[in-house]
Amino acid sequence: MFLYVLLRVTVVVLAMIVLGLVVVVGTDRLRRSRRDVRRRMRTIAPTAVVLIAVLLTNSVARRVVPDSSHIVGIRATFGVDATWWIYELEGGFLPWLQSFETTALTAYFSFVYVYGYVFLLVFPALAYLALPDTRPVRELLAAYSLNYALGLLCYVLVIAYGPRNVMPELVDALMYDTYPRYQHLTRQVNRNTNVLPSLHTSLAVTVALVAYRTREAYPLWYPIAAVLGLSVAVSTMYLGIHWAIDVVAGVVLAAVSVALAARLVGRLPGELAGRLPEGLADRLPSGERPER
Amino acid sequence: MDGWRPRPDAASRRALLAATGVGLAGASAGCVRRARNVTTRDPAGPLSVTITTAVADYDREGIQIARRLAENLQLVGIDAALRTVSREELRRSVLVNHDFELYVARQPEFSDPDFLYELLHSRFSEESGRQNPFGLTSRRVDELLGRQRRAGREDRPGVVADLLSAVAEECPFAPICVPEEYRLVREDRFTGWEEAHLGDRLGYLGLEPLGADDLRGVLTDTLATKNLNPLSVEFRNRGVFVDLVYDSLGVLDDGAVRPWLAEDWSWEGTTATVTLREDVAWHDGEPLDAHDVAFTYRFLADTSREGGSAPAPAPRYRGLVSMVEDVDVEDRRTLSLAVDAEPDPGVRAFLVPILPEHVWEGRTDEADLFGFRSTPGTTEAIVTDNVPPVGSGPFAFADRTERDRLAFERTDDHFSRGDEGLPEATVERLLVTVHPRSTSAIEAVEADDADVTVSTLEAYSIAGVTETDAVRLLTHPPRTYYYVGFNARRAPFTDPKFRLLLARLLDKGWLVEEVFEGEASPIASPATEEWLPNSLAWVDGDPVAPFLGDDGEPNVSAVRGAFERAGFSYDGEGRLLARG
Repeated sequence: MFLYVLLRVTVVVLAMIVLGLVVVVGTDRLRRSRRDVRRRMRTIAPTAVVLIAVLLTNSVARRVVPDSSHIVGIRATFGVDATWWIYELEGGFLPWLQSFETTALTAYFSFVYVYGYVFLLVFPALAYLALPDTRPVRELLAAYSLNYALGLLCYVLVIAYGPRNVMPELVDALMYDTYPRYQHLTRQVNRNTNVLPSLHTSLAVTVALVAYRTREAYPLWYPIAAVLGLSVAVSTMYLGIHWAIDVVAGVVLAAVSVALAARLVGRLPGELAGRLPEGLADRLPSGERPER
Repeated sequence: MDGWRPRPDAASRRALLAATGVGLAGASAGCVRRARNVTTRDPAGPLSVTITTAVADYDREGIQIARRLAENLQLVGIDAALRTVSREELRRSVLVNHDFELYVARQPEFSDPDFLYELLHSRFSEESGRQNPFGLTSRRVDELLGRQRRAGREDRPGVVADLLSAVAEECPFAPICVPEEYRLVREDRFTGWEEAHLGDRLGYLGLEPLGADDLRGVLTDTLATKNLNPLSVEFRNRGVFVDLVYDSLGVLDDGAVRPWLAEDWSWEGTTATVTLREDVAWHDGEPLDAHDVAFTYRFLADTSREGGSAPAPAPRYRGLVSMVEDVDVEDRRTLSLAVDAEPDPGVRAFLVPILPEHVWEGRTDEADLFGFRSTPGTTEAIVTDNVPPVGSGPFAFADRTERDRLAFERTDDHFSRGDEGLPEATVERLLVTVHPRSTSAIEAVEADDADVTVSTLEAYSIAGVTETDAVRLLTHPPRTYYYVGFNARRAPFTDPKFRLLLARLLDKGWLVEEVFEGEASPIASPATEEWLPNSLAWVDGDPVAPFLGDDGEPNVSAVRGAFERAGFSYDGEGRLLARG
């Protein structure tokens, strides 16, 4: 079941990406960038390695964290059980949001939550590779890393269950009950206490913010990313998976991650290179060379 | 909201102390005495309570009961908050650590009233496990619990009726309702689903396969994939799978205990002579004999075998094991058990799973974590995940993927094979997969990916079932009830009057309609119909703890009056004052 769902998602998202590359990036630009792609890959390699390391840590940690006795100890000492606090603060909002439920909206938001989200994360990384300047793609990947790293820290410290877990009769688990098969997908990648912040929201908003910063290169992508990002944020609430507070926290996390990424990218490796022995610094790709 | 501010009374007390300090030099002894007298009085404060409950992923109905109760408590001036946890964590907090005030949960079994012995006897109030989580200590209840065990067949119903009345007065927990049990089965793969209850091991034996080689079950929780220890209280619901792996001397069949691993037993007074079946072997090939049986009963009474710093009774089967006073091995196949009960209910002691001595004798040490921090009374036997389990039952453990699936293989030389009188494993393999929600469990059976939902279906999902020639929705006699438990060790829950008043904030009839969609029966007393005296039966209302209000809404002034008559008072803002 899991593999079947995974295959479906892969095929659909690939189709969306191909379409996106043709429409947003354009075949001309794609053809031109083929010659330079190796240099660009080399330039972004350090950032990509950091992201992969963060993702691996994250996938292990998300499974292990709730069971590991050390983390249980840390949580018992420093952790905050926030579920009831959130519920009392915003309790009525989600039932109100779901009062607009229609079959079409459920289908749209379920699609956005699963397929739209994956597309939103993967597509810009490829699109930015088609730009001669590698800074956007490095910023994007760095922002992803920051989202995951900071998000994981929140998950350790804040213990909260989502709205469908607290008021199942008011907030329908729309996607899981309408399309039970998706349960298998999300169950593999998440735990039900990993709620605050909403990483779906933070990553989607991150993409939208970077799209805004690169709107001159890809004027068409910015509105698409904005609409899709907003839809992802709303879908997490409409589908009863996240509280509004999780979504707000997700937006804040996105803003912090993008701001930090913009400051860090080009700087850290640069500083590092500056301290390296002469010969080594010269071998670094030109983009990483310290400005002195 | 203003929890971080010092309480006004505390602040004024500090001011007074400061003033006393300044004036101390010239103060007389009388003045100091007066100051001490004034400053060392702790007033009753506004009461706040925490309700521990599992979230909807684990208990969709439980969290709704808890929320409604919290809302009602808030309406009548008691600050209430929910502590939301997983099912495993709920059991750990409540049953193991007694760290709770109120909790909402489901009692796994209550067919014979002797289950109350384990649940309520004061001798268990300090133990961890299913035994007396409420910390109730009532001489009257203790006495009746003992008497119903020793009463003759004719007298027992009367003693049980007295016991249930005493329990209603003490109100250690508020019973709410008995939910219907729905399961979905495929009739084109097997027939005989109605022969036995699918909440028991016998439900999975004796099925007639229609060309099927595997029996495919669906669970809606992952607990059994993580741990297969029959003694674990956190990971066991009804224990169907550990019961298929481990045999017991007798099995429950239609309410009666019938011989299983025992070929036969005979009673002389309150001592049973038990003869085991011939040539029984453990799944690892070792022979099973009467010494294993004697070991099991002694081991469950103290899993440290007197070797630890404190006795470590098993957290499950405590009530059944407490009946057994003495075990004597006569020969490899024969042993005698002296029980502190008449044969009925004493024969229920035979329902305990028999464990292999050669595996469990090595689990008596206090459990530790990487060599440090062992907890007195917690042995390896209690905390081990027991994977792979070595039993003697009709199915042997094959393999598992945590959180995802379990596989069992038939024990081909099991004594039930070929025995006319016993239901046997009719397929070579029992495969169990986890589908985390009732809706996806239903989808699995409808799509022919599974033959039976082992877990019961949640009430809300029943309407989504499409019955066909092949797929049928089955109901079984309900075996569990929902309740709100109180921690009688902590003030103000130490007071039975207070507990009963909290019970009266639960509108059970309304909860059955709203939360269970009518798929449950409200109850006032924790007993099945055959044991229930008329005075405790639910007839158009609760005879024990009638709701103080209407349609789920509490009548605030009626509740307030009831609390005041019970000796409690309210402050100017309408908050209930209590010490604790």
